[in-house]
Amino acid sequence: MRRPRWMRQADRWGRWLENAFLFALLGGLIVLSASQIALRNIFSAGLPWADPAVRMMVLWLALAGGIAAGRDRKQIAIDVVTRLMPGRARRLADAVSCLFTSAVTTALAWHSFRFVRDSHAFGDTVFVGWPAWLFQIILPVGFAAIAYRYFLRALMAGSDR
Amino acid sequence: MILTGLLLLAMVLLGAPLFAVIAAGAMLGFYRSGIDLSVVAIEFFGISEMPVLVAIPLFTFAGFVLSESGSARRLVRLSNALLGWLPGGLAIISLAACALFTAFTGASGVTIVALGALLFPALSQAGYRERFNLGLITTSGSLGLLFAPSLPLILYGIVAGVSIDQLFLAGILPGLLMLAVLSGYSFWINRHVRQSLAKASWSEISGALREAVWELPLPVFVLGGIYSGYFAVSEAAAVTAVYVILVEMVILREIPWRELPRIIRESMVLVGAILMILGVSLASTNYMIDAGVPQRLFEFVDTHVSGQATFLLALLIFLLVLGAILDIFSAIILVVPLVLPVASLYGVHPVHLGIVFLAAMELGYLTPPVGLNLFISSFRFERSIVDVFRATFPFFVLLLITVVIIAYWPGLSLVFLN
Repeated sequence: MRRPRWMRQADRWGRWLENAFLFALLGGLIVLSASQIALRNIFSAGLPWADPAVRMMVLWLALAGGIAAGRDRKQIAIDVVTRLMPGRARRLADAVSCLFTSAVTTALAWHSFRFVRDSHAFGDTVFVGWPAWLFQIILPVGFAAIAYRYFLRALMAGSDR
Repeated sequence: MILTGLLLLAMVLLGAPLFAVIAAGAMLGFYRSGIDLSVVAIEFFGISEMPVLVAIPLFTFAGFVLSESGSARRLVRLSNALLGWLPGGLAIISLAACALFTAFTGASGVTIVALGALLFPALSQAGYRERFNLGLITTSGSLGLLFAPSLPLILYGIVAGVSIDQLFLAGILPGLLMLAVLSGYSFWINRHVRQSLAKASWSEISGALREAVWELPLPVFVLGGIYSGYFAVSEAAAVTAVYVILVEMVILREIPWRELPRIIRESMVLVGAILMILGVSLASTNYMIDAGVPQRLFEFVDTHVSGQATFLLALLIFLLVLGAILDIFSAIILVVPLVLPVASLYGVHPVHLGIVFLAAMELGYLTPPVGLNLFISSFRFERSIVDVFRATFPFFVLLLITVVIIAYWPGLSLVFLN
């Protein structure tokens, strides 16, 4: 079954967006950590916000990479059993496990949202007085994106013939 | 309790991502204990509080760039120029080159694809039996795990809260022992292969050196920087990433810039997959410690196992089974927090435990049903899994013996630590 045009287009745009996001995060990570080393060795100085910023970028990379892994079907899973299944059973297993994953990540997104909301309400800050929710927001957004991805995959696994 | 456990197990077997299963387990546990579930998000946010973690995306990316470039070919040419004249030398070259390449690129099977594809035909040409070559290449795919700056070592250090520098030092002798045992075997079994692949030639050596001149400083730089204490691990990772981009993309221009987004995506997908598991495990581990799981685990082990020697034996058997069903990253993240406190009660040093853990998991790459190297070799060289496994078996047995030695000889791992 060939997917409709808009779906393929959405897939292309989504992939592009993920790539741009990963590119920016990893690029920033490399530039920032490298300049910290240069500053330390040449001028014996450093940017005080660079280290916490790098740590936040790693968190964002975790989620962004997790979203991309969902699309590429590269999340770490044990496929010994499903590999041995005949086609129809495998699709059923795929639908069930994707639905399960979607439900779990929806719950994660909801509870992350509550965490960020509370952090916003309390006015938590991270380095140099920046509001913490600005950095934590990736948690609900990322988990929601993964939930959406697995929901689509469950639908597709179920509808394929 | 048992029902939910079975349900989660069913989800694992149906192929659900491990991170989702772990998250579900943690949320159910916290829910039963009446703890607000936003704790899972708070724990996941803990990823941003681990400074060393930045080494993982940086080293992974650098490894992906290296394996896409021609560095594998240059490494083989150089080792061949240096050692090719030695009868049986090519097998030893293969082992050493693969170990170095794996340490830098991570044991994700890329060694078999990048180096194996070059070495496999070269070995056949030099008169080695095909089954031996297949076993050698398959085994070599994970051989450098114990050498800096391998990703599993770094991950173990992060999860166990052990100094990564110490782990890098501790891995040297056990890693060399593995190399030596396999080299000795290769030498002995091929003692009739008198034909050497190349004559010693100064012009070939200098040609190969000139070709590899940009990459040669990398291991010196990184390993020297780390072992001398000049670079922290995360700094070494940043330097490696910058250096690799500079050499492979700006100076040698082997990888076109338009390929960069793809390479970034592929490497960060692996990083994301690992860190997702790490993030949710921070929550599940926390829950299990709250629930006293390590304590109960110790009591259970204590009633069946007495003394360090028996404990190590039980640990080895457990790790071999674990390695046969779980990939090395998930195994480290999930199992180390539980095993570590138990092991320390039996007087096992956390650094030594790390080396034993990784050495045993290295065997997991070679054991069915999920042995990654078996699959990659089978796919790459178009042989059945059974053929590959049979070819790998003597190497597997030798490595098993080595792992036992590593486990029962802590001094081998700990000698440089004081």
